[in-house]
Amino acid sequence: MKRPIKVLIAKAGLDGHERGALVVAMGLRDAGMEVVYTGIRNTPEQIVQAAIQEDVNAIGLSSLSGGHMAQFTRVMELLKKENVKGVLVFAGGIIPDEDARKLKKLGIQEVFGPGSSIASIAEFLKKRVRPR
Amino acid sequence: MSMTGKELTKLVTRLEAGEPLPAEFYARTGNARILGITGPPGVGKSSLIDRLIDELRRQGKTVGVIAVDPTSPISGGALLGDRLRMQRHSEDDGVFIRSLATRHHHGGLTDATPQIIHALDAAGFDIVIVETVGTGQDEVEVAEVADTVAVILMPELGDEIQRAKSGLMEIADILVINKADLMNAGTARREARPPNDGQKWERPTLHTSAKSGEGITILWGAIEAHQAYLVSSCELARRRERAARAEVIRLLQSRMSASILQSLEAPRAQNILTDVAQRKLDPYDAVERLSREVFGS
Repeated sequence: MKRPIKVLIAKAGLDGHERGALVVAMGLRDAGMEVVYTGIRNTPEQIVQAAIQEDVNAIGLSSLSGGHMAQFTRVMELLKKENVKGVLVFAGGIIPDEDARKLKKLGIQEVFGPGSSIASIAEFLKKRVRPR
Repeated sequence: MSMTGKELTKLVTRLEAGEPLPAEFYARTGNARILGITGPPGVGKSSLIDRLIDELRRQGKTVGVIAVDPTSPISGGALLGDRLRMQRHSEDDGVFIRSLATRHHHGGLTDATPQIIHALDAAGFDIVIVETVGTGQDEVEVAEVADTVAVILMPELGDEIQRAKSGLMEIADILVINKADLMNAGTARREARPPNDGQKWERPTLHTSAKSGEGITILWGAIEAHQAYLVSSCELARRRERAARAEVIRLLQSRMSASILQSLEAPRAQNILTDVAQRKLDPYDAVERLSREVFGS
Protein backbone atom coordinates (compact mmCIF):
# COMPACT_ATOMS: atom_id res chain seq x y z
CA MET A 1 0.00 0.00 0.00
CA LYS A 2 1.21 3.48 -0.85
CA ARG A 3 2.10 5.44 2.26
CA PRO A 4 -0.05 8.54 2.59
CA ILE A 5 1.77 11.87 2.87
CA LYS A 6 2.22 12.66 6.59
CA VAL A 7 2.12 16.32 7.58
CA LEU A 8 2.61 18.12 10.88
CA ILE A 9 0.46 21.24 11.30
CA ALA A 10 1.47 23.44 14.22
CA LYS A 11 1.24 26.95 15.53
CA ALA A 12 4.35 28.37 17.17
CA GLY A 13 4.60 30.87 19.96
CA LEU A 14 1.95 32.91 21.68
CA ASP A 15 -0.73 32.86 19.01
CA GLY A 16 -4.18 31.54 19.83
CA HIS A 17 -5.74 31.95 16.38
CA GLU A 18 -6.37 28.30 15.69
CA ARG A 19 -9.17 28.23 13.12
CA GLY A 20 -7.03 28.61 9.98
CA ALA A 21 -4.58 25.87 10.99
CA LEU A 22 -7.42 23.53 11.89
CA VAL A 23 -9.21 24.19 8.57
CA VAL A 24 -5.99 23.39 6.70
CA ALA A 25 -5.46 20.24 8.81
CA MET A 26 -8.97 19.00 8.03
CA GLY A 27 -8.61 19.95 4.36
CA LEU A 28 -5.40 17.96 4.01
CA ARG A 29 -7.05 15.02 5.78
CA ASP A 30 -9.81 15.20 3.18
CA ALA A 31 -7.11 15.22 0.49
CA GLY A 32 -5.98 11.81 1.77
CA MET A 33 -3.09 12.87 3.98
CA GLU A 34 -2.26 11.85 7.54
CA VAL A 35 -2.14 15.07 9.52
CA VAL A 36 -0.61 15.32 12.97
CA TYR A 37 -2.19 18.39 14.51
CA THR A 38 -0.40 19.79 17.53
CA GLY A 39 -2.45 22.94 17.99
CA ILE A 40 -1.44 26.26 19.47
CA ARG A 41 1.47 27.51 21.56
CA ASN A 42 4.13 25.05 20.45
CA THR A 43 7.74 25.99 20.99
CA PRO A 44 10.02 25.62 17.93
CA GLU A 45 11.79 22.86 19.90
CA GLN A 46 8.52 20.95 20.37
CA ILE A 47 7.67 21.31 16.69
CA VAL A 48 11.02 19.94 15.54
CA GLN A 49 11.00 17.03 18.01
CA ALA A 50 7.40 16.18 17.02
CA ALA A 51 8.42 16.23 13.34
CA ILE A 52 11.27 13.81 14.09
CA GLN A 53 9.25 11.43 16.28
CA GLU A 54 6.33 11.40 13.85
CA ASP A 55 8.67 11.09 10.83
CA VAL A 56 6.57 13.50 8.77
CA ASN A 57 7.15 14.40 5.14
CA ALA A 58 6.19 18.04 5.65
CA ILE A 59 5.69 20.66 8.35
CA GLY A 60 3.08 23.40 8.01
CA LEU A 61 3.62 26.39 10.29
CA SER A 62 0.83 28.86 10.93
CA SER A 63 1.09 32.33 12.40
CA LEU A 64 -1.37 35.19 12.60
CA SER A 65 0.15 37.16 15.44
CA GLY A 66 3.26 38.67 13.89
CA GLY A 67 5.73 36.32 15.53
CA HIS A 68 6.50 34.41 12.36
CA MET A 69 10.03 35.71 11.70
CA ALA A 70 11.44 34.79 15.11
CA GLN A 71 9.51 31.52 15.50
CA PHE A 72 9.88 30.14 11.98
CA THR A 73 13.55 31.13 11.79
CA ARG A 74 14.16 29.16 14.98
CA VAL A 75 12.33 26.11 13.55
CA MET A 76 14.56 26.21 10.47
CA GLU A 77 17.69 26.55 12.62
CA LEU A 78 16.71 23.59 14.77
CA LEU A 79 15.90 21.40 11.75
CA LYS A 80 19.39 22.14 10.48
CA LYS A 81 20.98 21.53 13.88
CA GLU A 82 19.14 18.20 14.23
CA ASN A 83 20.20 17.30 10.69
CA VAL A 84 16.62 16.64 9.60
CA LYS A 85 16.63 16.05 5.85
CA GLY A 86 13.92 15.65 3.24
CA VAL A 87 11.20 17.39 5.24
CA LEU A 88 9.40 20.12 3.33
CA VAL A 89 8.45 23.20 5.37
CA PHE A 90 5.65 25.54 4.35
CA ALA A 91 3.92 28.39 6.12
CA GLY A 92 0.60 30.16 6.24
CA GLY A 93 -1.13 33.07 7.93
CA ILE A 94 -0.72 36.82 7.99
CA ILE A 95 2.78 37.21 6.62
CA PRO A 96 3.87 40.36 4.70
CA ASP A 97 5.41 39.76 1.24
CA GLU A 98 8.76 41.07 2.36
CA ASP A 99 8.87 38.60 5.25
CA ALA A 100 7.68 35.80 2.97
CA ARG A 101 10.69 36.46 0.73
CA LYS A 102 13.03 36.29 3.72
CA LEU A 103 11.41 33.07 4.96
CA LYS A 104 11.84 31.49 1.56
CA LYS A 105 15.53 32.34 1.69
CA LEU A 106 15.68 30.42 4.99
CA GLY A 107 14.36 27.33 3.23
CA ILE A 108 10.61 27.62 3.75
CA GLN A 109 9.29 26.35 0.45
CA GLU A 110 6.03 28.27 0.17
CA VAL A 111 4.01 30.84 2.10
CA PHE A 112 0.22 30.68 1.78
CA GLY A 113 -1.52 33.95 2.59
CA PRO A 114 -5.19 34.73 3.26
CA GLY A 115 -7.47 33.46 0.47
CA SER A 116 -5.26 30.50 -0.44
CA SER A 117 -7.39 27.49 -1.28
CA ILE A 118 -7.00 24.15 0.49
CA ALA A 119 -6.79 22.57 -2.96
CA SER A 120 -3.74 24.67 -3.82
CA ILE A 121 -1.98 23.63 -0.59
CA ALA A 122 -2.81 19.95 -1.16
CA GLU A 123 -1.67 20.18 -4.77
CA PHE A 124 1.60 21.82 -3.67
CA LEU A 125 2.30 19.04 -1.17
CA LYS A 126 1.44 16.23 -3.60
CA LYS A 127 3.79 17.74 -6.16
CA ARG A 128 6.65 18.63 -3.86
CA VAL A 129 6.83 15.94 -1.18
CA ARG A 130 9.64 13.54 -1.93
CA PRO A 131 8.47 9.99 -2.29
CA ARG A 132 10.24 7.61 0.07
CA MET B 1 18.93 3.99 25.24
CA SER B 2 20.48 1.69 22.71
CA MET B 3 19.41 3.64 19.62
CA THR B 4 18.94 7.29 18.84
CA GLY B 5 15.52 8.89 18.51
CA LYS B 6 16.12 9.28 14.80
CA GLU B 7 17.00 5.62 14.27
CA LEU B 8 13.92 4.62 16.24
CA THR B 9 11.58 6.89 14.28
CA LYS B 10 12.85 5.52 10.94
CA LEU B 11 12.47 1.96 12.21
CA VAL B 12 8.87 2.68 13.24
CA THR B 13 8.15 4.09 9.78
CA ARG B 14 9.49 0.94 8.12
CA LEU B 15 7.42 -1.28 10.43
CA GLU B 16 4.34 0.80 9.70
CA ALA B 17 4.97 0.22 5.99
CA GLY B 18 4.85 -3.54 6.63
CA GLU B 19 8.57 -4.32 6.73
CA PRO B 20 9.61 -6.98 9.25
CA LEU B 21 11.23 -6.19 12.59
CA PRO B 22 14.92 -7.17 12.38
CA ALA B 23 15.53 -10.30 14.50
CA GLU B 24 18.17 -8.65 16.68
CA PHE B 25 15.50 -6.25 17.96
CA TYR B 26 13.08 -8.98 18.96
CA ALA B 27 15.84 -10.60 20.99
CA ARG B 28 16.04 -7.42 23.05
CA THR B 29 12.32 -7.19 23.90
CA GLY B 30 10.37 -8.31 26.94
CA ASN B 31 11.63 -5.74 29.42
CA ALA B 32 9.10 -2.93 29.00
CA ARG B 33 5.73 -2.97 30.73
CA ILE B 34 2.95 -2.54 28.17
CA LEU B 35 -0.01 -0.47 29.26
CA GLY B 36 -3.15 -0.33 27.11
CA ILE B 37 -5.42 2.69 27.36
CA THR B 38 -8.78 2.31 25.67
CA GLY B 39 -12.33 3.65 25.81
CA PRO B 40 -14.85 5.66 23.80
CA PRO B 41 -13.91 8.84 21.88
CA GLY B 42 -13.69 12.01 23.94
CA VAL B 43 -13.40 10.50 27.43
CA GLY B 44 -9.90 11.94 27.88
CA LYS B 45 -7.55 9.05 27.06
CA SER B 46 -4.79 11.24 25.62
CA SER B 47 -5.09 13.83 28.39
CA LEU B 48 -4.83 11.08 31.02
CA ILE B 49 -1.72 9.73 29.31
CA ASP B 50 -0.28 13.25 29.39
CA ARG B 51 -0.75 13.21 33.18
CA LEU B 52 0.61 9.67 33.53
CA ILE B 53 3.76 10.74 31.67
CA ASP B 54 4.26 13.45 34.33
CA GLU B 55 3.94 10.85 37.05
CA LEU B 56 6.31 8.40 35.36
CA ARG B 57 8.93 11.01 34.56
CA ARG B 58 8.89 12.11 38.22
CA GLN B 59 9.87 8.53 39.02
CA GLY B 60 12.61 8.64 36.41
CA LYS B 61 10.94 6.12 34.11
CA THR B 62 11.15 6.51 30.33
CA VAL B 63 7.94 6.32 28.31
CA GLY B 64 7.09 5.37 24.74
CA VAL B 65 3.58 6.19 23.52
CA ILE B 66 1.76 4.77 20.50
CA ALA B 67 -1.40 6.79 19.85
CA VAL B 68 -3.88 5.53 17.27
CA ASP B 69 -6.53 7.61 15.52
CA PRO B 70 -8.90 6.50 12.74
CA THR B 71 -8.26 6.68 8.99
CA SER B 72 -11.06 8.27 6.99
CA PRO B 73 -13.05 5.63 5.09
CA ILE B 74 -13.78 8.33 2.52
CA SER B 75 -10.47 10.06 1.80
CA GLY B 76 -7.93 7.63 3.28
CA GLY B 77 -6.49 10.55 5.24
CA ALA B 78 -6.49 11.01 9.01
CA LEU B 79 -6.41 13.75 11.58
CA LEU B 80 -4.02 12.56 14.28
CA GLY B 81 -4.95 14.65 17.30
CA ASP B 82 -3.75 12.63 20.30
CA ARG B 83 -0.28 14.12 20.36
CA LEU B 84 -1.80 17.58 20.83
CA ARG B 85 -2.71 16.61 24.41
CA MET B 86 0.83 15.43 25.20
CA GLN B 87 2.83 17.86 23.09
CA ARG B 88 4.47 19.50 26.10
CA HIS B 89 6.48 16.28 26.58
CA SER B 90 7.95 16.48 23.07
CA GLU B 91 11.17 18.11 24.22
CA ASP B 92 11.78 15.46 26.87
CA ASP B 93 14.38 12.90 25.70
CA GLY B 94 12.81 10.30 27.99
CA VAL B 95 9.52 10.40 26.09
CA PHE B 96 8.84 9.22 22.54
CA ILE B 97 5.38 9.71 21.07
CA ARG B 98 4.24 8.31 17.72
CA SER B 99 0.80 8.89 16.20
CA LEU B 100 -0.54 6.20 13.89
CA ALA B 101 -3.57 6.08 11.60
CA THR B 102 -5.55 2.82 11.54
CA ARG B 103 -5.28 2.56 7.72
CA HIS B 104 -8.50 0.55 7.76
CA HIS B 105 -7.33 -1.98 10.35
CA HIS B 106 -10.21 -2.99 12.61
CA GLY B 107 -9.88 -3.81 16.30
CA GLY B 108 -8.70 -0.46 17.67
CA LEU B 109 -4.99 -0.65 16.73
CA THR B 110 -3.01 -0.76 13.47
CA ASP B 111 -1.49 -3.65 11.48
CA ALA B 112 2.01 -3.03 12.81
CA THR B 113 1.23 -2.03 16.42
CA PRO B 114 2.66 -5.27 17.93
CA GLN B 115 5.93 -4.79 16.04
CA ILE B 116 6.11 -1.08 16.94
CA ILE B 117 5.66 -2.02 20.61
CA HIS B 118 8.65 -4.36 20.19
CA ALA B 119 10.68 -1.51 18.67
CA LEU B 120 9.99 0.79 21.66
CA ASP B 121 10.65 -2.08 24.05
CA ALA B 122 13.97 -2.88 22.35
CA ALA B 123 14.86 0.83 22.38
CA GLY B 124 14.83 0.58 26.16
CA PHE B 125 11.69 2.43 27.25
CA ASP B 126 10.53 1.32 30.70
CA ILE B 127 6.85 1.75 29.92
CA VAL B 128 5.11 1.53 26.55
CA ILE B 129 1.64 3.06 26.52
CA VAL B 130 -0.69 2.05 23.70
CA GLU B 131 -3.67 4.32 23.17
CA THR B 132 -6.36 2.78 20.97
CA VAL B 133 -8.74 4.65 18.70
CA GLY B 134 -11.88 5.82 20.43
CA THR B 135 -13.57 2.45 20.78
CA GLY B 136 -17.10 1.16 20.61
CA GLN B 137 -18.08 -2.04 22.36
CA ASP B 138 -16.16 -4.53 20.28
CA GLU B 139 -12.67 -3.19 19.63
CA VAL B 140 -10.70 -5.24 22.13
CA GLU B 141 -7.47 -6.05 20.30
CA VAL B 142 -5.44 -4.04 22.83
CA ALA B 143 -5.98 -6.89 25.29
CA GLU B 144 -3.84 -9.05 22.97
CA VAL B 145 -0.81 -6.76 23.24
CA ALA B 146 -0.97 -5.11 26.67
CA ASP B 147 0.02 -6.44 30.09
CA THR B 148 -2.46 -4.14 31.79
CA VAL B 149 -5.56 -2.64 30.19
CA ALA B 150 -7.22 0.46 31.60
CA VAL B 151 -10.66 1.19 30.16
CA ILE B 152 -11.45 4.89 30.42
CA LEU B 153 -15.06 5.99 30.72
CA MET B 154 -16.75 9.18 31.83
CA PRO B 155 -19.88 9.95 33.83
CA GLU B 156 -23.30 9.44 32.25
CA LEU B 157 -22.20 6.94 29.59
CA GLY B 158 -24.94 4.43 30.27
CA ASP B 159 -26.85 2.34 32.75
CA GLU B 160 -26.02 -1.05 34.25
CA ILE B 161 -27.16 -2.95 31.14
CA GLN B 162 -24.48 -1.18 29.15
CA ARG B 163 -21.79 -2.31 31.55
CA ALA B 164 -23.14 -5.86 31.65
CA LYS B 165 -22.58 -6.25 27.89
CA SER B 166 -19.68 -8.24 26.47
CA GLY B 167 -16.60 -6.74 24.91
CA LEU B 168 -14.87 -3.60 26.04
CA MET B 169 -15.93 -3.80 29.70
CA GLU B 170 -14.63 -7.36 29.98
CA ILE B 171 -11.04 -6.56 29.03
CA ALA B 172 -10.55 -3.91 31.73
CA ASP B 173 -8.02 -4.66 34.44
CA ILE B 174 -8.72 -1.19 35.75
CA LEU B 175 -11.80 0.92 35.14
CA VAL B 176 -11.31 4.65 35.16
CA ILE B 177 -14.07 7.23 35.32
CA ASN B 178 -12.37 10.32 33.99
CA LYS B 179 -13.91 13.80 34.08
CA ALA B 180 -14.98 13.04 37.64
CA ASP B 181 -14.95 16.81 38.12
CA LEU B 182 -18.07 16.97 35.96
CA MET B 183 -20.51 15.38 38.34
CA ASN B 184 -21.37 13.61 41.54
CA ALA B 185 -18.53 11.13 41.70
CA GLY B 186 -20.43 8.81 44.05
CA THR B 187 -22.96 8.15 41.33
CA ALA B 188 -20.23 7.53 38.80
CA ARG B 189 -18.60 4.96 41.04
CA ARG B 190 -21.82 3.03 41.50
CA GLU B 191 -22.70 3.02 37.80
CA ALA B 192 -19.29 1.84 36.72
CA ARG B 193 -18.53 -0.84 39.32
CA PRO B 194 -18.16 -4.14 37.48
CA PRO B 195 -20.06 -7.24 38.58
CA ASN B 196 -18.22 -9.33 41.12
CA ASP B 197 -17.38 -12.40 39.07
CA GLY B 198 -14.96 -14.06 41.45
CA GLN B 199 -11.82 -13.01 39.63
CA LYS B 200 -8.73 -13.00 41.75
CA TRP B 201 -7.78 -9.54 40.59
CA GLU B 202 -10.40 -7.26 42.04
CA ARG B 203 -10.78 -4.77 39.28
CA PRO B 204 -10.79 -1.32 40.82
CA THR B 205 -12.92 1.55 39.63
CA LEU B 206 -11.09 4.83 39.98
CA HIS B 207 -12.05 8.44 39.54
CA THR B 208 -9.72 10.81 37.78
CA SER B 209 -9.74 14.28 36.38
CA ALA B 210 -7.15 14.75 33.66
CA LYS B 211 -8.14 18.41 33.78
CA SER B 212 -7.13 18.98 37.42
CA GLY B 213 -4.71 16.07 37.78
CA GLU B 214 -6.73 14.52 40.58
CA GLY B 215 -6.57 10.76 40.91
CA ILE B 216 -3.53 10.29 38.66
CA THR B 217 -1.22 9.08 41.44
CA ILE B 218 -3.92 6.64 42.55
CA LEU B 219 -4.34 5.44 38.96
CA TRP B 220 -0.62 4.80 38.63
CA GLY B 221 -0.72 3.00 41.98
CA ALA B 222 -3.45 0.70 40.62
CA ILE B 223 -1.43 0.03 37.46
CA GLU B 224 1.61 -0.91 39.58
CA ALA B 225 -0.55 -3.09 41.83
CA HIS B 226 -1.86 -4.89 38.76
CA GLN B 227 1.67 -5.40 37.45
CA ALA B 228 2.73 -6.85 40.79
CA TYR B 229 -0.29 -9.18 40.63
CA LEU B 230 0.66 -10.24 37.08
CA VAL B 231 4.08 -11.33 38.28
CA SER B 232 3.02 -12.99 41.54
CA SER B 233 0.19 -14.94 39.89
CA CYS B 234 2.24 -15.96 36.81
CA GLU B 235 -0.47 -14.25 34.77
CA LEU B 236 2.19 -12.10 33.07
CA ALA B 237 3.79 -15.15 31.46
CA ARG B 238 0.35 -16.39 30.33
CA ARG B 239 -0.57 -13.02 28.82
CA ARG B 240 2.74 -12.70 27.04
CA GLU B 241 2.46 -16.18 25.60
CA ARG B 242 -1.02 -15.34 24.37
CA ALA B 243 0.32 -12.11 22.84
CA ALA B 244 3.18 -13.93 21.09
CA ARG B 245 0.82 -16.54 19.63
CA ALA B 246 -1.66 -13.89 18.51
CA GLU B 247 1.11 -11.93 16.83
CA VAL B 248 2.37 -14.91 14.82
CA ILE B 249 -1.16 -15.90 13.82
CA ARG B 250 -1.90 -12.35 12.66
CA LEU B 251 1.30 -12.11 10.63
CA LEU B 252 0.54 -15.48 9.07
CA GLN B 253 -3.04 -14.48 8.30
CA SER B 254 -1.90 -11.28 6.71
CA ARG B 255 0.67 -13.09 4.52
CA MET B 256 -1.84 -15.77 3.49
CA SER B 257 -4.47 -13.19 2.82
CA ALA B 258 -2.09 -11.30 0.51
CA SER B 259 -1.24 -14.54 -1.24
CA ILE B 260 -4.93 -15.42 -1.67
CA LEU B 261 -5.67 -12.00 -3.15
CA GLN B 262 -2.79 -12.44 -5.57
CA SER B 263 -3.98 -15.88 -6.66
CA LEU B 264 -7.47 -14.50 -7.22
CA GLU B 265 -6.05 -12.30 -9.97
CA ALA B 266 -5.79 -15.39 -12.20
CA PRO B 267 -8.38 -15.43 -15.04
CA ARG B 268 -9.80 -18.77 -13.91
CA ALA B 269 -10.42 -17.37 -10.42
CA GLN B 270 -11.91 -14.20 -11.84
CA ASN B 271 -14.37 -16.25 -13.91
CA ILE B 272 -15.54 -18.08 -10.81
CA LEU B 273 -16.07 -14.77 -8.97
CA THR B 274 -18.00 -13.40 -11.94
CA ASP B 275 -20.23 -16.49 -11.93
CA VAL B 276 -21.13 -15.79 -8.29
CA ALA B 277 -21.91 -12.14 -9.07
CA GLN B 278 -24.19 -13.33 -11.91
CA ARG B 279 -25.94 -15.82 -9.61
CA LYS B 280 -24.73 -18.79 -11.68
CA LEU B 281 -22.74 -20.20 -8.77
CA ASP B 282 -23.29 -19.91 -5.03
CA PRO B 283 -20.51 -18.54 -2.78
CA TYR B 284 -19.89 -21.87 -1.01
CA ASP B 285 -19.46 -23.80 -4.28
CA ALA B 286 -17.20 -20.97 -5.45
CA VAL B 287 -14.98 -21.48 -2.39
CA GLU B 288 -14.88 -25.25 -3.06
CA ARG B 289 -13.90 -24.74 -6.70
CA LEU B 290 -11.33 -22.03 -5.85
CA SER B 291 -9.76 -24.29 -3.22
CA ARG B 292 -9.52 -27.16 -5.69
CA GLU B 293 -8.72 -25.43 -8.96
CA VAL B 294 -6.80 -22.31 -7.91
CA PHE B 295 -5.20 -23.11 -4.56
CA GLY B 296 -4.90 -26.85 -5.19
CA SER B 297 -6.06 -28.12 -1.80
